[in-house]
Amino acid sequence: MIRALEGFWAERDCVLMQPYHTEVGAGTFNPATFLRCLGPEPWRTGYVEPSIRPLDGRYGENPFRFQQFWQYQVVLKPAPDDVLDVYFESLAHLGIDLVRHDVRLVEDDWEAPTLGGWGLGWEVWVDGMEVTQWTYFQQMGGLELDLFPAEITYGLERLALVIQEKRTAFELEWAPGVTWGDIFRENEREWSAYNFEAAPVEILTRRFGEHDAECRELVERRLPLPAYDQVLKASHAFNLLDARGAISVTERAAYIGRVRNLARAVAKLYLEETHADAAA
Amino acid sequence: MPTLLLEIGCEELPAGACREAGDQLPELVQRELGAQPSRVFVSPRRLAFLIDELPDLSEPEWLRGPPLSAPPQAREGFARRHGVSPDELVERDGFLGTLVAAKPLEERLAAIVRGLGFSKTMVWKPGGLRFPRPVRWLCAKLDSETLLVSLDEVPSGGVTFGHRFTHHELEVPDPGAYAGLLRNADVEPDAAERRRAIVEGLDAIGGWSDPMGKLEEVVYMVESVTVLEEQFDERFLQLPRRVVETAMQSHQRYFPLGANRFAFVANGGEPEVVKKGNRQVLENRLDDADFTFRRDREQGIEALAGALGSITFFQGAGSFADKTERLVDLVRRLGGGEASVEAAKLAKADQASELVREYPDLEGHIGAEYARLAGYPEAVAAAIEEHYLPDGQDAPLPATEAGKVLSAADRIDTLAASFGLGHKPTGSRDPYGLRRAAIGLCRLADEGGLTVPRELLPPEVRDFVEERLEGLLEVPVEFARAARASAMPDVGGVAWLARALAAMPDERIGSIHTVYTRSARIVGDADGEVNPSLLAEEAELALARALQATDLGVVADRNEAAFDAAAELAPVVERFFEEVLVMAEDNAIRTNRLALLAQVRDEVGRLGDFSQIPR
Repeated sequence: MIRALEGFWAERDCVLMQPYHTEVGAGTFNPATFLRCLGPEPWRTGYVEPSIRPLDGRYGENPFRFQQFWQYQVVLKPAPDDVLDVYFESLAHLGIDLVRHDVRLVEDDWEAPTLGGWGLGWEVWVDGMEVTQWTYFQQMGGLELDLFPAEITYGLERLALVIQEKRTAFELEWAPGVTWGDIFRENEREWSAYNFEAAPVEILTRRFGEHDAECRELVERRLPLPAYDQVLKASHAFNLLDARGAISVTERAAYIGRVRNLARAVAKLYLEETHADAAA
Repeated sequence: MPTLLLEIGCEELPAGACREAGDQLPELVQRELGAQPSRVFVSPRRLAFLIDELPDLSEPEWLRGPPLSAPPQAREGFARRHGVSPDELVERDGFLGTLVAAKPLEERLAAIVRGLGFSKTMVWKPGGLRFPRPVRWLCAKLDSETLLVSLDEVPSGGVTFGHRFTHHELEVPDPGAYAGLLRNADVEPDAAERRRAIVEGLDAIGGWSDPMGKLEEVVYMVESVTVLEEQFDERFLQLPRRVVETAMQSHQRYFPLGANRFAFVANGGEPEVVKKGNRQVLENRLDDADFTFRRDREQGIEALAGALGSITFFQGAGSFADKTERLVDLVRRLGGGEASVEAAKLAKADQASELVREYPDLEGHIGAEYARLAGYPEAVAAAIEEHYLPDGQDAPLPATEAGKVLSAADRIDTLAASFGLGHKPTGSRDPYGLRRAAIGLCRLADEGGLTVPRELLPPEVRDFVEERLEGLLEVPVEFARAARASAMPDVGGVAWLARALAAMPDERIGSIHTVYTRSARIVGDADGEVNPSLLAEEAELALARALQATDLGVVADRNEAAFDAAAELAPVVERFFEEVLVMAEDNAIRTNRLALLAQVRDEVGRLGDFSQIPR
């Protein structure tokens, strides 16, 4: 499936990237999406991203909820006029018969409070199953965009459930004779235990503060790319603290606000650094 | 006269946007084209209208300028602004004006597209059109002629598109052929027709319900209507019915059919394939709900209630644990019994449950379910379940006494906390739902017969609630205002009094009105103690005696005898005014007589401020 998507989008002039090397909640956080969506340069990319969401862990006991799942992320900037047709073609390419199935676009708008981003779009249903998140970005890092990208986020487990006609993600065939459950179930159990029980609250709280401080320091030194890594690390520390139940709802808003401020500062600096001529 | 078609081809529009466009099109079309559309078609991928007889729009338009009587400078100024000479101006109806070439039809069509307003829009090209989703084509036909509409590079022509996956481009020969052409291409463009087909399909299956009201949305989620029926595994019937229905409706927009059957509307596909997929999706959701439900159950409602300290009610108003404490106190002050106090302690426990986090619509219902599972009496569970009622204008009130008390306490707390933080509704903005809370409280007090002491409400809240009451009562507002100023101790009593005043025979209310307004007018705001030793004349002694014998406080018990007693004062007061000179020369006597009248004003004022009622 991943190979099919890689091939499909590579043929359509996408730069094939790889997962980012630090934990992200979604492919949108990968700098190949967040930062590249800023500024006037066209950009087309596709990559796999493991989506890490500590709060969604279920110890491998629930067959549909995981603290880590796989996305295939495509960004087309600017969105071509026939972007939906091309997307549906990609589903057909994966083996989904668009006439036999009921494939629909159902309103679902996107907003990421920690990234200062929002967009309008859909979730794509195949026979009622959400297999893709589809968004036309409007704002990122609190900045209006110059070009309006389409973000296509395929949920690989969900798509595989449809294509392989399996009941649970555990039964999905990852490779011949090897199931998703064989590879990831123990992973889910241990990481859920870590996320909910073992993650050290004090250390994480301190770390959040350190990432926050380091990010601001790096913004001062005008190094947006390293600064952005600190945003991601702070965001992940926050997600872990949240899963540990260490953050009250009131504090939650404050934490999110701090991450958003960092993301905004980095976005602004990134634009300044990459478009020094335009700014001058 | 020619026929006209305009179709705005879109990527799948949200249901809300479809409805907004459908509401605006008739007026917009009338404004731009001078005729009502004969048909308006709204579906996810197209907004379209037909005009059967398009009036001639090629006549130059006459723009009104200054009146004939205006000085020459005005004519010259007007002519200059429009680039003509003053003698070219054309007179009509006593005004001078100028003829300007009519706006071409194509421009009018573009203006209709631009004229649509939506609550949520996006841009897909820098500086381009704002619309709820991208516009991908325009199809405009004037009889058999294709109109090319220029609108931000959107392709314009004489073609439309059928069902997204079963059909492609379709050449539209003329407006009359449009709907039929689409129907042959698996698209029903008419929303009313789709609605009819859906209801017909559901009726044919029978026994369907739509507890969360999803039908209107579903009408705009498909272009081609296929109503299908399917079942889910019976083991999920162990879950509370409400949980199952919410899992069906909240996200998937399925219609429960009873037991383990459900219906849904597809936009195409092979029925067996589509049914199997949807069954799988629902079972996945139910599996997840079951998992969550079991985890919540293992915790138990008391543990959930114990976790409320870490959930904020809203910023500045403490946590749900704080709210719970306030609810318990309010329930006691509302005279609630054991069941309502117990229910208050657990009312918000389900805010800490995973199931409510997943399905917020289940709040209350799931708390009640967990209370039942923990062995609480049904009265407690019912109160928890009902305390969000009434949740709409005509929604039912809680059926149980404990439910009413808890519901009132919840509303009083939300209002008091919000007003205390300065969150007051302004204009149409009411993010905390305070109007609904206040109206609910009035209905509990009035229809529900619940005693809601007015002293429980902080002054601002009390005014806000009673202003809503004025709107709810079916009596002229002045009676409600008069009653609000009475000594009625509870909100329901104010409603009772307003109705009683409004129903009172004219003569009777007239006499009480006179007693009150005459005394009040002369006394103004004055107060004072009556000194009995200074009372000398027979008429003032009689009034003092009558006052002593009168206790209008019984009105608090909704006792109409209070009105009789007030009316009986009328002749005594009249005699007083006839025989006694209030403004006596002696200062002490004058003050004493004014104090006596102040007593009349205050005693009768317990029945309300009669000066509010115009006579």
